Amino acid sequence: MRSISLITLFFSYTAADAAEKVVFNRDVRPILSKNCFACHGFDANKREAELRLDERESAIGKAESGKAAIVPGKPELSELWHRINSTDPDDIMPPPKHHAPLGPKEIEVLRRWIEQGAEYQGHWAFVRPESPPIPAQAVEGGNAIDAFVQQKHKEKQLTFAAEADRGTLLRRVSLDLTGLPPSPEQVQAFVADTRPQAYEEAVDRLLASPQFGERMALPWLDAARYADTNGYSIDGGRHAWLWRDWVIKAFNDNMPYDQFLIKQLAGDLLPRATDADLIATAFQRNHSITHEGGTIPEENLTNYAADRVKTYGEAVIGLTMACAQCHDHKYDPITQKDYYQIFAFFNRLDDIGLDGNGGNNARPAMHAMTPLTTPQEVEKVKVDLAQAEAEMAADNAEQQARWEKQQRDMHVQRGKDFAVQPCEILGATTPNGSPDRLKVMPDQSLEIHGGDFAAYTVSTKLPAAMKTINGVRVIFEPSAHAKNAIGYTGGTFVMTTVNVAATGFPAGNVDPNAPYPLKRITASDQRAGFPVVALWSSDPRTGWSPAGGAQPQHVTLTFAKPLDVASLPYLTAELVFNYAGSQNPGKLRVLAFTGETDDSELPADVWAALQVETAQRTPEQAARLSQYFREFSDERAPVRHRVVNLRERLHVLTHKHSVLVMNESKQPRKTHILERGVYSSPLAEVQPNTPAFLPALNKPNATRLDLAQWTVSRDHPLTARVAVNRLWEIAFGRGLSTSTADFGSQGVWPTHPELLDWMAVHFIERGWNVKEMLKLIVMSRTYRQSSHTTREMLESDPLNEFYARGPRFRLGAEAIRDQALAVSGLLVDRIGGPSVKIYQPGDLWRAVSHYGSTPATAQTFVQDHGEKLYRRSLYTYWKRTLPPTSLATFDAPNREVCTVGRTNTNTPLQALVLLNDPQFVEAARHFAVRMLRQGGADDRSRLLYGFRAVTAREAKEKEIALLESALREEQAKFQGKTPLARDFLTIGESPVTEVFPLEQQAAWTAVAQLLLNLSETITRN
Amino acid sequence: MSQDYFTRRAFLGTSSAAMGQLALASLLGQESASAASHELMRTFAPKAKRVICLFQSGGPSHVDLFDGKPSLQKYHGQNLPDSVRGGQRVTGMTSGQSSFPVVQPIAGGKLCGPGQVYISDLLPWTQKIAGEICVIRSMHTEAINHDPAITLANTGSMQLGNASAGAWISYGLGTDNSNLPAFMVLVSQGTGKNPGQPIFSRLWGSGFLPSEHQGVLLRGGAEPVLYLDNPNGIAREHRRAQLDSLAAMNQQFGESSGDAETFARIQQYEMAFRMQASVPELTDLSDESPETFELYGKESRKPGTYAANCLLARRLAERGVRFIQLFHRGWDQHIAITKQLPAQCRDTDQPSAALIMDLKRRGLLDDTLVIWGAEFGRTVYSQGALGSPVAGRDHHGRCFSIWLAGGGIKGGVVHGETDDFAWNITRDPVHLRDLHATMLHQLGLNHDRFVYPYRGLDQKLVGVEPAHVVKAILA
Repeated sequence: MRSISLITLFFSYTAADAAEKVVFNRDVRPILSKNCFACHGFDANKREAELRLDERESAIGKAESGKAAIVPGKPELSELWHRINSTDPDDIMPPPKHHAPLGPKEIEVLRRWIEQGAEYQGHWAFVRPESPPIPAQAVEGGNAIDAFVQQKHKEKQLTFAAEADRGTLLRRVSLDLTGLPPSPEQVQAFVADTRPQAYEEAVDRLLASPQFGERMALPWLDAARYADTNGYSIDGGRHAWLWRDWVIKAFNDNMPYDQFLIKQLAGDLLPRATDADLIATAFQRNHSITHEGGTIPEENLTNYAADRVKTYGEAVIGLTMACAQCHDHKYDPITQKDYYQIFAFFNRLDDIGLDGNGGNNARPAMHAMTPLTTPQEVEKVKVDLAQAEAEMAADNAEQQARWEKQQRDMHVQRGKDFAVQPCEILGATTPNGSPDRLKVMPDQSLEIHGGDFAAYTVSTKLPAAMKTINGVRVIFEPSAHAKNAIGYTGGTFVMTTVNVAATGFPAGNVDPNAPYPLKRITASDQRAGFPVVALWSSDPRTGWSPAGGAQPQHVTLTFAKPLDVASLPYLTAELVFNYAGSQNPGKLRVLAFTGETDDSELPADVWAALQVETAQRTPEQAARLSQYFREFSDERAPVRHRVVNLRERLHVLTHKHSVLVMNESKQPRKTHILERGVYSSPLAEVQPNTPAFLPALNKPNATRLDLAQWTVSRDHPLTARVAVNRLWEIAFGRGLSTSTADFGSQGVWPTHPELLDWMAVHFIERGWNVKEMLKLIVMSRTYRQSSHTTREMLESDPLNEFYARGPRFRLGAEAIRDQALAVSGLLVDRIGGPSVKIYQPGDLWRAVSHYGSTPATAQTFVQDHGEKLYRRSLYTYWKRTLPPTSLATFDAPNREVCTVGRTNTNTPLQALVLLNDPQFVEAARHFAVRMLRQGGADDRSRLLYGFRAVTAREAKEKEIALLESALREEQAKFQGKTPLARDFLTIGESPVTEVFPLEQQAAWTAVAQLLLNLSETITRN
Repeated sequence: MSQDYFTRRAFLGTSSAAMGQLALASLLGQESASAASHELMRTFAPKAKRVICLFQSGGPSHVDLFDGKPSLQKYHGQNLPDSVRGGQRVTGMTSGQSSFPVVQPIAGGKLCGPGQVYISDLLPWTQKIAGEICVIRSMHTEAINHDPAITLANTGSMQLGNASAGAWISYGLGTDNSNLPAFMVLVSQGTGKNPGQPIFSRLWGSGFLPSEHQGVLLRGGAEPVLYLDNPNGIAREHRRAQLDSLAAMNQQFGESSGDAETFARIQQYEMAFRMQASVPELTDLSDESPETFELYGKESRKPGTYAANCLLARRLAERGVRFIQLFHRGWDQHIAITKQLPAQCRDTDQPSAALIMDLKRRGLLDDTLVIWGAEFGRTVYSQGALGSPVAGRDHHGRCFSIWLAGGGIKGGVVHGETDDFAWNITRDPVHLRDLHATMLHQLGLNHDRFVYPYRGLDQKLVGVEPAHVVKAILA
């Protein structure tokens, strides 16, 4: 992307040859805007010499000096002409201090423009779009779009390329309209279907598919800065997904685009507003919200309203308004007053400046049903859930026996040679409150006096008398200051998680990236619902808790490998107690041990039952053991995940959920112009109104609804142009104007202005019909061309601005992952619902967050399981301060602010994700099995099948030969190496099929990785 | 059609990750009308080739560390005069306090080196490098809370959505080492306040710049760069063979389709493969001498600590990484400053000083600009009751202290001055944007001309307000 800005300047089509008439908007305005308007433009405060070059009247009138800047037809009499050609540093324009002299071409354009009469035009995007006539010469097999494109072809001596081959075309349109590739079967059927209407039928099918809404939602989520966390520093969790689901449904229902905007800008003000209308207004609540203590509420509220203006400007009407927060816009006729009039519309909510902590939505918020719920899915989920629960409840004697044996084996040496010695506590810290809350007592215990969301870091010296130790034990004791119980407030405590580090020096903390690895976590006791195994997870919603009272209790950490005390004599333990806020112990001590621990992962009664021969167990013992096995064994994890996920899904579909919305306060805040944009420097009060240079609103006491309706009025020059430009971008990878969010003076002149206007008017006249407009685009001959590129094409049109070949670009982050899931068969096509946490290395959140010091949620990464690992990528949980790593690597934005259009880079880190991310390795494994199962009987046909799945075309003979040779190499690598194959195949949580030999599966998985990594696979041709 | 042709085109496309904007502009030569204006960005020979930024996240107390003075003892316990505090807004955490008693530095300090630089006794190692560093006591920022302040310090603006300093420099200058990213980030957690204020990827993000310029996290522990390790079961030579097959397939596609990006992608896979060797070589400290570990302190042997990260910073500098940024958390001493601040100093003092000494003895300090700094300082007045063990200091943006070393900056000097209360600047104010301008200047970039057009504006790291290179501190 970087170099586009460099080359557009060179290649952009100015009126280069002298014969051609200079067009003000195309040729002159960009030069004046870039070089002159800052001092001779809209900003009255910065205007020099009383000269405006943005208005003809001022430019040809007498300036302060008494001379006219421009004398139409006479460059040599024009002061401007002399100034731009001057060599005197006092006279030359632009002044040398701007370091941006005009180039010879620019000077030449200005000369010819003055010569030809110095005609001005209103900025193209600020005048009402009128439908230009469709060029008379029709294009065979094409539509109106093609007639406009052909007209430009003629100017440039270009012609349409041949149509793309059918498989490539189907893949292109499938990815563009649904974000998913066609299946190999769909490709074959389409290629075989030679009927003329086959393509149109495919387009109709794709537009009608539920995946259309998901794909269309994606760029809108970027623009609307949708995320699952609040952003800013603490970045706690929020619930916003109902809005995302509303967007998906709106696209699937083909809601007219004007309604789409009205509801999102002012759904709450519509007469008889439905819940869905209210949900829509979350669009302007998606901004970041802070709950950082110490921030000033008025300042925060100003930031929120400013963000709403920015987003409205860039996403809806294609204007960058943010400059005018502090001063009159330098390039566009937006005054500071205009800015705050728009601001006023969005500054009347009942929101407060410090809100949204603890996982609660910042007000205003409401509870509503998801717009996506259907009775069919509810019924289906109920059936699936009943089946999963039955499976969960079912005994499996064979599995259970295997598990029982594992448990007994693990405990066979229980307590053997067990010996403890105390560790010397050197110090302890906690982030909040008085340091005296933690007291190291003379008897080497640590006394704890209360504290919320607390992580205690205890630094100890290991007993030198022990040469190697196998682990440590933390003993919790009753204490007088804690009502003689083990819990600080009496009773018990809940521990969330634990980490230890061993060091050669006294260390004050444990790096979450490099803890000393543990093998087992066991305890003296565990209460129902608070199992000791919960300590493996940092999730603050789960924890370990022993029986309360005066009886000491302990937790024991057995190291993965014995620790040599001489080389690592210090141990730091991080003990976290942030379950539901405040569930602290009163007193603890730390012991090191040798031998085998004498406690257990298992509750006492389960252990007791396990000791009894199967046949001898009481019915209660048998039931307890079976229940425990079902609830905790690894073997049962898949079905457990299924049950949990289905229960949650049922709840999602049948209950109301929270979402942030907009409303109108009964006592709305007043809006003032703010001096330099600073919240505490109010100037004159302003009322809600629209900018003066756009069509007048003419409405006293205007509301957000008035703004919304004005935005989509027929006279509005921007909204429809911006919308169709973005639809074009979906199909061509770039807009007709490439500055999709900036249609102002600094925006990029469209390559086909007549086409853009024709489409904008057509769009409005056809009722803002999104599906129809997209269909028109993808049915065009322009769209259907082959993207095959020759050297000559690159010379004549390097960026494909004139469409003499088909568009080609790398897939977006989400499409790359979704495609891998789709071709592997792992993709779960459920639509909507709460966002999901996919595979991500380590706990990246915790390393930068406030975990252990705050009630905010989303401070620690807890990965989801089961079907949630295979949902479409737009459902991935979006934490703004650390967006999903694999997607961010492929240019997904962090969604802190409105993003219209992503960059599209090509980096080594992308290679590492595609090659090594468990998500893609696991997908390759399933893709391999698919090739083996569905690709036919021999290697060749299986490879052809796989190649077709990722490219939608037939492999060439040379490609097949390369794939066959790669397969032979992989077979050789795994030949006779079952353990190696197993290592490779057990990546990802889905079970490994036993149908094919592991060595064969591994070789094919490696080939599947090759296919998923092909440049062609991640490119849409 | 030759591959060379497409490779050249690929530079014009999207994929010149390793190449800076300036290099690219000169490569394009006559082909680009704007190359000339890009040349304008660079007007002088750079003094620094790279930057190491030691970012002390949370706001270290300038009052205690670098701006101690006898007047503070004199006024200890007295209320900060209203005339000094002026209309200065304070955060919601202390705005409700009824009094604002002045607290003298919690530890002594001394004037060090020939330049008589005041440095706290909490920083004995920093005292030893007093002759190498330039302490700026007159830094200031408008922000008074962490998020806007740290965002301003790292991206040049309090608003969200801008590019970080490292990303800007990656964009401008690229990298000298095609086996490592141009911009690498290391995060550690201090022992004073654990956990410290959160930090966020925005601070090393690319904002509106292409995302290839975002900082790459280098973590302690097993997989220092995300997704670096091959899957289980795939050894390095096995991967080599796989990449050869992949390259052959991609070559085939690139030639038949004319897709320049595909040829660039082949190169990116090769760089990924090289990174799989160069990163472990980078993070493997076994070739460091015992004496070096001694210099950086014992903690330098433990991955993920500030000390280990300082040592890694030197290794990154040696390998030509352009922008190396450490974030050390835990400097937010609202409470228990007498306990927390010494702990933060113990974490960072020796390694920071060791880094300067180590760079110097290896001849790297001359062309490496080292910046030790933060988003703001702390109030001279007590947050909480004077003398209480729970008492601390609140955020303070009107003045704070940082230090610079190497990269053409004068050593052994103090720049700027504050009043008797270390509250207001009395001489030579330096805004964060001036610091950014100075940093760019040392790298040979003009802060006003080094721009990126986005959303209708020529965006700059220093923002829209005038910024000034701090000429007085240049060697």
